[in-house]
Amino acid sequence: MPEPVIASVGASPLGRTDLPGRDLFSVALAEAFDDLPDPADLVEAVYVGNQSESYEHQIMYGTLLAEWAGLRHVPAERVEGCAAAGALALRHAVKDVRNGEHEAVLACGVEKMTSAGTSGATDALSAAFDRAIEQRSGITAPSQYALLGQRYLHETDATERDLAEIAVKNHANAARNPRAQFPKEIDVATVLESDPVAPPLKLFDCAPVGDGAAAVLVTSAELAADLDRPQVRVAGSGAAANNIAVAERDMTDIAGARVATETAYEEAGIDAAAVDLAEVHDAFTVCEALLAEAAGFAPSGTGYQSYRAPAERADGWTDVQLSPSGGLKARGHPIGATGILQALEAYEQLTGAAGDRSVEGAETALLLNEGGVGDAVTVSHVLTTAEAP
Amino acid sequence: MTDGDLDATDPRTLPGFFDALADGELLGGVCADCGQILLPPRPACYACGSRAVDVEPQSHEGQIFSYTAVHTPPPAFAADAPYTVAVVELADGGRLLGRVAADYADVGIGDPVELTVREPTATEREIALDYEADWPIHVFEPR
Repeated sequence: MPEPVIASVGASPLGRTDLPGRDLFSVALAEAFDDLPDPADLVEAVYVGNQSESYEHQIMYGTLLAEWAGLRHVPAERVEGCAAAGALALRHAVKDVRNGEHEAVLACGVEKMTSAGTSGATDALSAAFDRAIEQRSGITAPSQYALLGQRYLHETDATERDLAEIAVKNHANAARNPRAQFPKEIDVATVLESDPVAPPLKLFDCAPVGDGAAAVLVTSAELAADLDRPQVRVAGSGAAANNIAVAERDMTDIAGARVATETAYEEAGIDAAAVDLAEVHDAFTVCEALLAEAAGFAPSGTGYQSYRAPAERADGWTDVQLSPSGGLKARGHPIGATGILQALEAYEQLTGAAGDRSVEGAETALLLNEGGVGDAVTVSHVLTTAEAP
Repeated sequence: MTDGDLDATDPRTLPGFFDALADGELLGGVCADCGQILLPPRPACYACGSRAVDVEPQSHEGQIFSYTAVHTPPPAFAADAPYTVAVVELADGGRLLGRVAADYADVGIGDPVELTVREPTATEREIALDYEADWPIHVFEPR
């Protein structure tokens, strides 16, 4: 079975931009193919993670971006799974290479979220929730996660201050990431005193609205070697859906994320302790706490300690570093592109291209990308250096 | 599978469920194999995969399981904000999300509430899809 690797990455600027989605993609693609032959000479299929046609009144993103990449007559499709769309696109590319169908597949993601302001984004994102009960009750993305957060604070020793510390940590990481939407440090008071969005979550508990595109080239290891590219192995891939309605799930045991991650670990032949860094889906601060537990990094009820240095965490925690990119919170969260941006960060970390935010000695990374609220759908990937066992 | 004859009168469809709710009856699916409550009812049990799902009236009484207030609403609900939303655990074991007719500061986990049903407002009808226009809205009232 061919071993899939990531052979190149690229991204557009993140945040409020003056470029529509296809043009953001062109910027990301140009970076990814800077040292490579043209896409038309390599790419055999395209998957595009994209959340919503609300922002640009545009579907058919597979066709559109294949064309804008100079490709014709290749399989190309948009992949939808709200904020997990990017990792779903990556997963499709990985499977195509793994099963021998293609040698080089472009996995990308794009979202033009700022086209209709915060209320437009709020409306577009609410489509990810159950229409019959949840949407008609006026639920929003922050309020869904607030329901998880309220319950988490109720069941554990975590406080709002702990959640604020997660945001502070991720901003500190982003301050060392030139790609970040918010490359600046903040303090706890800034988070705690920010406007209520959906208590216990405040403005600075929430990832921002922003535009962005990202692309990764997934190839066979042989092709990446022929192209003389630094490569990162995709050693494991797992995905799992859970109930669409948050009310019907266990709200503090994020079971879908646990299953998806265990699948990825199993494929990679590792356990949680082997993971050096993880890009987790911190769309809201409480997500990072919940996902640290679901991924097996932290004992139940202690995931909120993710902001602490390893020696200061509860017994049973691994030494993993979470979201060195700054996470969704501060690196940015252009919905359909987020899963690809997570892969980009891991690629840079594992190929020694992460500059002064490098996690020392990192060989293994976990990517955990969610769509809908919590684990309505979760996609997990394990990435390792070419040299890792 | 025996659901080939599902139609809009069947409470395992949304029109059937909301018709009953408009008459004041909250119907839940009850898995004949594992007992899981399904709100609203549907043809298959997510917990065990069984398609033997009975439909039974559910208690309207329950307790707040988690709650929040929406300060940044979708545009259609802007005039209502901030409004309180909760996940309620009903006495029969099912859980349902809905608005709570109380201020956030007056609500806590474990508080007793009761499901009530009202007709959609003019604004709610405006944003409804054609087939949703007459579907009622449920609201939890503190007890």
